[in-house]
Amino acid sequence: MIEFRNVSKQYSTDTYALHDVSFTVAKGELVFLAGPSGVGKSTLLKMIAAMERPSSGQVLINGADISRIRPAAIPSLRRNLGLIFQQQRLLTDRSILANVMLPLLVAGASHKEAETRARAALDKLGLAERADAQPLSLSGGEQQRVSIARAIVNRPQLILADEPTANLDRVSANRVLDALKAFNSVGVTCIISSHDEQMLDAAARVIHLNQGQLEVAA
Amino acid sequence: MTNWLRQHRYALGAALLHLRRSPGGFLFNILVVAIALALPFAGVTLLDNVRPMSEQLSVDPEVSVFLRQDTPREQAQALASSLRQAVKDKQAKIIFTPREKALDQLRDKNGLADVLTTLGENPLPDSYVIKIDAFRNAQAGGDVDQLAEQIRTLPGVESVQVDSAWVKRLAALINVLRLALLILAATLGTVVVAVIFNTIRLQVLTQREEILVCKLIGATDNFIHRPFFYTGALLGLCAGGVALGAVALALHPLNQAIAEFAKLYASEFQLTPLPPLAMAGLLALSAGLGLLGAMLSVQRHLSRMN
Repeated sequence: MIEFRNVSKQYSTDTYALHDVSFTVAKGELVFLAGPSGVGKSTLLKMIAAMERPSSGQVLINGADISRIRPAAIPSLRRNLGLIFQQQRLLTDRSILANVMLPLLVAGASHKEAETRARAALDKLGLAERADAQPLSLSGGEQQRVSIARAIVNRPQLILADEPTANLDRVSANRVLDALKAFNSVGVTCIISSHDEQMLDAAARVIHLNQGQLEVAA
Repeated sequence: MTNWLRQHRYALGAALLHLRRSPGGFLFNILVVAIALALPFAGVTLLDNVRPMSEQLSVDPEVSVFLRQDTPREQAQALASSLRQAVKDKQAKIIFTPREKALDQLRDKNGLADVLTTLGENPLPDSYVIKIDAFRNAQAGGDVDQLAEQIRTLPGVESVQVDSAWVKRLAALINVLRLALLILAATLGTVVVAVIFNTIRLQVLTQREEILVCKLIGATDNFIHRPFFYTGALLGLCAGGVALGAVALALHPLNQAIAEFAKLYASEFQLTPLPPLAMAGLLALSAGLGLLGAMLSVQRHLSRMN
């Protein structure tokens, strides 16, 4: 499903965010990106979402090279991805229901359909009762689950999560991880960056990055 | 089509939601833009009221030909064929007014009957009035001056009075006013675009996070831009409505003053509001200026975000 071919990202002559990285992720896999801060985990995820372009190499999704994607085609690509960030990036001027409805409205769904599907997504994440609450009234863990609901509401084929448990306590982190595993179990490919050792210990596959280079592809 | 309508409904809803969140700022912006629009709108209203009057004057100018008192009636009437020859290809109406009829007409005017009885003998000459249909512009006005010169040389003619000069002056004055209004409208139109440009710029800044999130979840540029376009157009439309309302309100006290003035010239001239179609045109223009300001602002500030 995803293939990195000799991908490098260079910000200046002697600074590489990624250097000659190659790996593949099959459809339906759950893959963790591991490594200390600043090794290029976020850069790698951003390349899959076309938020960054590689300096060299190719990034393929289902065989299509998105390193040369036209700007006009980026929205369509992102509508098929679920993006989850460390800072949840919820819009604080509206309810969590409105936040979760947004990707559906962007995709052209009717308000009624968007509301039905957003409520269903919140229900899956145990937040149905809080649908009308404002994001700032939720705990960090709840906010992260709202951001997961927003990521999965469009039924994406691929979820990219950048340090989704970084600011959470253990209980909340486990709930977030369980939610992501649940979506993976129904065939959604998940790539999660993390430096949470406990989480990585339980992972089936971990891609280790060190100073922009691949260490182990287990 | 349904999707297109849905997207526009969403954009309009989003624009209204943001305006509802800061009604004070929106009203203030409406007021600023309305003040800028009110002046050219008032000018358009004035010109629209004056134009029919000026057109009437320029369409029906008269060349008055006064004959000598001692000109025999036969010679006076025979002059008609010479006048017809003089006007040649110009479409003209030549009306002969015998001195007796002229006196009767004068007598009919209020307050002059007593004065005329004191005169005894009829002091008025036979006369002709030439109404030239082709007289529609300054060039034609020049032709009429030549015609007057030509008529002056005809036998029996005492004097020729051409009223083209003041008609030309009025036409020129109206042209100057029209040009001044155009310059004023262009200047204030630029002000309107600039105000709305800045309003949208501030809105883009306050909604930066929302725009970024929308981009990350796959919103197209059109989806992101549309609410701002609606905001700009709504701002222009509302300001246009306020400006038209203000001009209409100002007509009432203005008309009271004009009525006093017009009475001195035995006229009942009054300023009337613009016809509905013209008002709709000005509202559309205001919305268009708002849209233009929003488009320029979005293009400049959102492209930086990319």
